[in-house]
Parts: sequence; C-alpha cells; structure tokens
Amino acid sequence: MKWWDRIIGWLPWFAGAFIIAGIVHICAILSMPRLAPLDSYTRMETMTLAGRIVPLPPLTPGKEFAPFEDPAMVASVCRYDLDRGPLRVRGNFAADNLVLLSFHSRYGDVFYSMTDRSATRGVLDILLVTPAQLTAIEAYDSEDELPSELRLTTPQTTGFVILRSLAAQPGGRDAARARLQSITCAVDQSTPG
Amino acid sequence: MENFLKTLVTAALGIGLGLFSTWLAVERGYGFGAVTAGPWMAWPKSGSNEADPYAKAVVARSAEIPLGLAEGLMFIARQDDTGAFLDPKCDYRISGPLPPARTWTLTLMTPRGALIENRLGRYGVTASEIVRERRDAIDIVVSRYASPGAWLPLGEAVPFVLTLRLYDTIVRASATAIDARSMPSIKRGTCE
Repeated sequence: MKWWDRIIGWLPWFAGAFIIAGIVHICAILSMPRLAPLDSYTRMETMTLAGRIVPLPPLTPGKEFAPFEDPAMVASVCRYDLDRGPLRVRGNFAADNLVLLSFHSRYGDVFYSMTDRSATRGVLDILLVTPAQLTAIEAYDSEDELPSELRLTTPQTTGFVILRSLAAQPGGRDAARARLQSITCAVDQSTPG
Repeated sequence: MENFLKTLVTAALGIGLGLFSTWLAVERGYGFGAVTAGPWMAWPKSGSNEADPYAKAVVARSAEIPLGLAEGLMFIARQDDTGAFLDPKCDYRISGPLPPARTWTLTLMTPRGALIENRLGRYGVTASEIVRERRDAIDIVVSRYASPGAWLPLGEAVPFVLTLRLYDTIVRASATAIDARSMPSIKRGTCE
C-alpha cells in the first residue's frame, strides 16, 4: 500500500472527526449559559438575599463584583425569585441625574433596560411577573383605566435587577448612593395570584 | 480491531477539536454582531434579548453584567489607530469627537475587565470631570506620568485596554459600523 493510499483511507475518519468537533462545539456553546459554574447570577446569589435591594461593594482593583464595571458608577442589585410572588420595583427620580436599571434573567438575558429619563413623570413603578401571574393580575384589572405600573414578564422565574447611579465627580458617591437608596424592591403582596 | 481503534481516535480528535474551538471562541470576544469604529469595538446585542449564543456563552463564563441597550453602550479599544496593541510602556492621547450621548466615561482596564492599581486611585474620567474645548470632543492623555490637562494615570505596567461608555446614547445598535471619524482617535506618544 502506497502512503497516499493510507492517507486516503484515513480521510473519511478525519471527516468524521470534524463532524464530531462541530457537534461538540455547538453543544458546548449552547450549554455554556446553563453550565458556567460562576456566572453573574451565581455571584449575586452568594452576595445577596432575594427580594430586597443590596448595595454592591465599591470597585477596587482585585475586588470587582463583576468584570468591565464602570468605576464611576455606584451599583445595587435586587435578586428575585418570582415563585415567592411578583416583584415590585418602585422609586422616584428627582433631578436629572443618571440612574440606570437593567433586568437580567437567570441565564443571562437582558430582557429590559431603562434610564431615569424613561420613567413617566419621574416615577418608577415596575412589576415583574411570570406569564401565569400576569394572567391572574389582568383578571382583576379594571376595564376602564390602564394599569399605572409597567408589567414585565421574565424569561425565567429567577434573575436580578442591577441599578446603577453615576457619581459624575469623585465626591458625588454618597449622593449617587442616596439616589439608589430611594428605590425599593420587594415581593408584592397586594397582587392576586 | 483496526476499525475500533480508528473510531476511538476519530472520537477523541473530534471531541478535542470541538472543545478547543469552543475555548477559542469564548476567549476571543463576544461572537458576532460587533460594531466597529476605528480601534473601538462594541457588542450592543449582548445587552438585549437578541444576544447570539456566542455572546451569551462569553458573558456566562466571564460573569460580566452587560449594559442594556437602553442604558448605553460600552466600546473597547485594544489597539491604537495604527493597529498596534496598547503598550503600557507608552503614552497615548485620546482625542476627537464623541457620538451624541447624555454622558460618557473613559476607563483603563486590564484585558479581562479588572481595574488597574495606581497611586491616585483614579481609574477613569467622566464627562463632567474634564474641561472640554468643545462640548462634543475630548482630549485625554494616558500616561504613567502626570500630565497637564485631562490625564488618566496608567499605574502599574500591565497590559491594558481602554473602555469608553456612552450612556443614554442614540448610537444605533443595529449598525454594524460607526463612522470612525465620529469616535476619538488613539495616538501613541513617547515610549520608554
């Protein structure tokens, strides 16, 4: 057997190896959000309790709560578990100071985000619900008026809300922190279902 | 027997290649959907429901909390205008216009997104900290030595990247490229 015959004999096996590689690659990428041992939710889980707002530690080298976080921001997190009931995020934005909110699901989807400017007349009132809870709430809605709150359904029942407030000057961190402290986040007891 | 061995080798090679290519893919960026503007790159889709599987895998592994689309957009520069990687032994000047945004911050970070230790504890600049010649342009020096004007200390000589965050910006996330002339340039100064 000449050497190229040997190589040609191996060719189908190499092709098979590439097909297996492709399948392994696709499976590994798709399962990464569910298998990653230390994703942001897991980190938040070790630092916080569900259903309340918790300030995140200031960023210092080597002690960042997450990579690529802006050191000019003061951040808080509210982890949620909708099995305990819908979550209400409420607050007021007084002056024109930058406050950001983003809603992350358990496996990394950013399903909603906003700034203080997108709150209606400076009032923040968001209710996080599962599709089943939304149906139950809507059954009690008055037919004449629109609900005052913004209702968001979540992709998964657990996740977290990150609140960030800009300290435009180094001396403004306390004020930025205070702006976040005026926002509340709690399991909503008043809603049916 | 020979076929059995060949099957084993094929399977091992396939799994090995598959895992290696996965590792390469999540180590080298955030998948598809990058928006580029000169040396700057951003991945707006990481902050939305439309993140592709690669972006999701990277974010899950790094535990990063990406900015939502409505919050803003983070640009990363690993290279200067000429395409050379940023070198901690050199000074850099970041100057030029900025796309419209409510406010912005410019921060030095390690390539993995950690802050870099420096004596002043100054990790970045915000729009309101610097006096700008024009409202929509910046001129910032990155150096290990104090410099007049807006200065960002380089701190320890470790590899670094520049991150520019535009908050509440109208930069279109659907675009795949932003005109490089609308973003600040990164020019290398003197090196040691």
